[in-house]
Amino acid sequence: MKESEIVSVISRKLVPYILIFGLYLISYGHLSPGGGFQGGVVLASGIILLALARGTDSAQKLFPERNLRIVEAKAFFLFLFMGIGGLVAGGYFLQNFLPLGKAGEVPSAGFIFFLNLIIGLKVSAGISLICFYLLKGE
Amino acid sequence: MKLKLLGEFLIFVVFGFVLIFGIDFIPPPPSGLKNYFVYQGVRQTGAINLVSSIYLGYRAFDTLGETIVLILVVSGIVMLLEKKDKE
Amino acid sequence: MSFYLIIFLFILGAWGIVKKDNLIKKVIALNILNSSIVILFIYIGSLTGSTAPIMEKGIKNVVDPLPQALMLTAIVIGICLTALALSFILKIYQRYKTLSVSRIEKLIKNE
Repeated sequence: MKESEIVSVISRKLVPYILIFGLYLISYGHLSPGGGFQGGVVLASGIILLALARGTDSAQKLFPERNLRIVEAKAFFLFLFMGIGGLVAGGYFLQNFLPLGKAGEVPSAGFIFFLNLIIGLKVSAGISLICFYLLKGE
Repeated sequence: MKLKLLGEFLIFVVFGFVLIFGIDFIPPPPSGLKNYFVYQGVRQTGAINLVSSIYLGYRAFDTLGETIVLILVVSGIVMLLEKKDKE
Repeated sequence: MSFYLIIFLFILGAWGIVKKDNLIKKVIALNILNSSIVILFIYIGSLTGSTAPIMEKGIKNVVDPLPQALMLTAIVIGICLTALALSFILKIYQRYKTLSVSRIEKLIKNE
């Protein structure tokens, strides 16, 4: 599609702030509204803005397609291993086996923080992969 | 032709009346499950956000099934839309 | 009052799937149908309290958090459904070069 200069310049200035906001939503998921799914979708929308404004070739220099596929598959296995870790530490599948801290600080919720990070990576990689394939499937 | 359009319109009107008069719209009674989450949720999981403590603490198995759905959909789209290079 | 709005959105989505001729408009109506059911669950869950379910110091009377946690999964599954439907439409367009259902039926009958 034909490129226009205003969209190209403004998207270059706006995408780093969108990515930082997505990372903030993922990592503060257990203290304020947000979490894995919400932050992952915001992160994917930053990548899609880059792909729509400057073409998929320029977006794939920063986020290559092969790496996104590997990240998505490995995140699923990491989720399974966190669950099996709950079985190993003497309990049920997906038990909260890390220590709980004082409520209200960042490292305070056991393994909910790490599960949020895993889900955020997986959702953002999946949705941006879907959009890369739909945008150049002609 | 006009009779077919009238018949379709009538079917949707009947559908609308069945939905309006067939569903009881009363506000829900105070439930014991909400009190359990509000009083015991922060102490048992450590997260202040109650929605996160539900779908990652008490019911994390549903989240595992949902990640399986995401992987299936992405692999289905990659299979349908990949380009075979003719060399 | 809000219940009648939700029923109107549901019937609008169902009517759009049946009566529209363009394939992309059918996918949009499917999305409207999905969103109306999500709004129904969250609206019924919001009638029992008054603030968001974040337990900071001295906040009482929060909303029920259980329907919101279930609807997160429902929203993501709706996105995946729309993505698969759009990729099927792309393959149909590459084969028949048109997007209207009646013309595709005529082309299939003439083959």
